[in-house]
Amino acid sequence: MEEMNMNVQDTAPVFAAPKAPKKPSFFDRFKKNPNKIHESLLDKILGVLNIVLLLLGVILIILPLLNYFSLAFNDGAFNIEIVFWPAKFSFDSFNYIMAGEGAVNFWRAFGNSVFITVVITVVSNLVEAMAAYPLSKKDCPCRSGFMMFFIITMLFSAGIIPIYLLMVSFNLINNLWSVILISISNVTHLLYFKTFFEGIPTDIEEAARLDGAGELQLFFLIIIPMSLPIIGSCCFFTIVGTWNGYGSALLFIPESTSGIPNMPLAYYIYYFMGNAATLAQYDKTGFLGNNIDNVQAAMMLLSIVPIILMYPYVVRYIKSGLQIGSVKG
Amino acid sequence: MDNHLQLTETPAADAAGAPEAAAPEAAVAAAAVKRQNAEEKTGFWRDQWKRAYKYRKLLWFILPAALFTLIFSYVPMFGVLFAFKGEDFNLYTSSGGVIGALFEGSWTFENFGKIFSNPDVGNAIANTLIINVIRLALCFPLSILIAVMLSELKQQWLAKVILIIITIPNFLSWAIVIGIWAGFFSSDFGILGRITGNLMTDPNWFKPLVVFLSAWKGAGWGCILFYSAIMSIDKTYYESATLEGANKLQKMWYLTLPSIMPTIALMLVLNISGMMAVGFEQVWTMMNLSAELQNTQMTLDTYLYNISIVNADDIPFATALGVANGLIGLFLMLVGNAITTKTLKRGLW
Repeated sequence: MEEMNMNVQDTAPVFAAPKAPKKPSFFDRFKKNPNKIHESLLDKILGVLNIVLLLLGVILIILPLLNYFSLAFNDGAFNIEIVFWPAKFSFDSFNYIMAGEGAVNFWRAFGNSVFITVVITVVSNLVEAMAAYPLSKKDCPCRSGFMMFFIITMLFSAGIIPIYLLMVSFNLINNLWSVILISISNVTHLLYFKTFFEGIPTDIEEAARLDGAGELQLFFLIIIPMSLPIIGSCCFFTIVGTWNGYGSALLFIPESTSGIPNMPLAYYIYYFMGNAATLAQYDKTGFLGNNIDNVQAAMMLLSIVPIILMYPYVVRYIKSGLQIGSVKG
Repeated sequence: MDNHLQLTETPAADAAGAPEAAAPEAAVAAAAVKRQNAEEKTGFWRDQWKRAYKYRKLLWFILPAALFTLIFSYVPMFGVLFAFKGEDFNLYTSSGGVIGALFEGSWTFENFGKIFSNPDVGNAIANTLIINVIRLALCFPLSILIAVMLSELKQQWLAKVILIIITIPNFLSWAIVIGIWAGFFSSDFGILGRITGNLMTDPNWFKPLVVFLSAWKGAGWGCILFYSAIMSIDKTYYESATLEGANKLQKMWYLTLPSIMPTIALMLVLNISGMMAVGFEQVWTMMNLSAELQNTQMTLDTYLYNISIVNADDIPFATALGVANGLIGLFLMLVGNAITTKTLKRGLW
C-alpha cells in the first residue's frame, strides 16, 4: 500500500489534474448493475441460509464461553442468576488466586508450565532443526536409513508401561523433567524442517563456505534466519501443545501428592476440577468453599492469557492461509 | 522412500568428477555400463565412505535428535518383553529395579490370550470404534462443509472473521473445554443445563457429547486446511461455470468438491489410521465428571491408562494390551500409507 501511495505522489501532474472518476456513492450498491449476471432465487436463498448457519455456528462457539467466563467475575452467592453476564460483579476470585494464600496454588503451576513450555519449545525445535539440516541434503550418507530411524517412532510405540517404567528407572516420576524429556523428540517437525531446508538454494551455502564459514556458523547465521517462517510455525505449535497438553503429566506426575509442586497448569486445572471440594476443606481463608466454580473459571481465564497474547499470530496464520498440514515430508 | 534409488544412481557421475546435469547423454550411458561392470558392492561402500567424509562435520548435527529418539522411543521398545512375564512378576519386590524385575521369574505367552477373554477389553474396543465411526461420519464432513460455506461468502473479510472466532476453542486445553461445557450444562448457572439438566454426567449422552465436543473444539481448526485448498482453486473456473448457468449447488458439487478431493482423501486416510485412539485427555477428563461414566464408558486409551497407572495390579497384561494396540495402529498406518501412495502418489509421511 505504501508503495502505491508513493507512486501516486511521484506521478501527480503539476497542472490541472484530469477529472477523477466519480466516486461511487453509498447508495449505488443498491442499484442494479446491468453488467452483472444476476443470481437466481435459489442462489439468493442459499446465500442467506449460508450466512445464517455460519452465524449460528459462531453463536454456538461464543455462548458457552460467555456463560462460563461470566462466573469468573461473579460473586459466588449469585451464580444462580447468571445468564451471559455476571449477575453481581466481583473480582474476589481473581484476588483470591493472585494472593495465593488459600488452598489454590495457581502461581506454582503457572511457573511450572512456563518452565516446561520454554524448555521444550527451544530444545525440541533446535534439536529437530539441526537434525533436519544434514538430512535435507540429497547426498547425505545413509539418508534414508536415518529417516527410517526417525519415522519408525511415529508408527509404532510400545505403549505407556514401557515409557513409565523407563521414567521409573531414571527416577523421574513426579518430576517435571520427565514431561520435558518425553516431548523433545518430534518427528513431524523434523519432516517440516527437512522439507523447508530442501527448498533453500545451495548456492548461498557454497558462497558462505567459500568465505570460510564453519558448519555451525552456517547453520545458525544463515540457515536459521532464512527459515524463520517454518521455525515460527513449529514453535507456535509446540508452545500451544505444551501449554494445553497434560497427557504426559497424567502419566508421570501422580495426582495424590498434597503439595502439588510439580503440576503443569493444564494438569492442575484438571486436578482442581476433580478435587475442588477436598481442597476447599483445607482452605484457611474459607473463601473457596462458597466460590468453587468462580475460582475455577477465573483460573481457566488466567491460564488462557498467554494463548490470547499469541492470537495475533494465529490471525496472521489464517490470513496467509499457510498450508502447513499439507507440507510433504 | 525413493531416496534409495538416488543412492545408487548419483555416485557414478560424482566419481567421474563431473556434475550429473552437465554430462552429455552418451557419457551418462557409458557411466551406467561402467557401473554395472564394476564391483557394485565396493563402489557403493566407497561412495558412502566418500560422502561420509564430506559430511563428517554435518553428521554430528543429527546426534542430539538421534539420542533423544534412541533413549525415549527405542529403549522403551525393549519394554515389550514385560508382556511375556508370568504371574509371579513383581516390580516392587525385585532387588535390581526395573531391569532386575525383567529377568526374574517365569516367562509366558498367556497375557496376549487374556486380551481376548477379558470382557472389559471388548467393551473398551466397542466404545472406541463406536465413537470413532460416528466422529468420522459427522465431524469430518462438518469441517469440509464449514470450509465450503465460508468460501461461498461474498464478503471474504467476514469469512476470515468467522474463521478466527471458530478456531478459538482449538487453543483451549481439554480441561478448560470440558469445564466450560460442564458449566454450560450445570443446572445452577448453565443456560442449557437449566433446560435440559446435566447431560455431561449421563452415560446415555456420553458418546454423543464426546463427538460433539471434539467437533466444537476441532472443526474450526480442521476446516482451515480445506478452506485454503478451496481458496487456491482458479477463480476463472467459477466464472465460466456461472456463464454456463450453473447454480451454487452445482458449482459446489461439480467444481469445489472434486478440486479438493486429494486433500479430503488424505485427511480421510489419516483419520482412519487413527481409528483406535479417541483422544485420551478428552475422554479421561470427561469420565472424571462421574463414577458411573468410568464404569461403563471406558475407551481403549483410558482403559489402558486405568490398568497401567491408576490400578497397576497386572503390569504384564497391561503391557500386552498396549503392544497389541500399538501393532494395530502400525497396521492401520501402513495400510493408510499404501492407499495414499497408490491413489494420491504421496505417502502419509
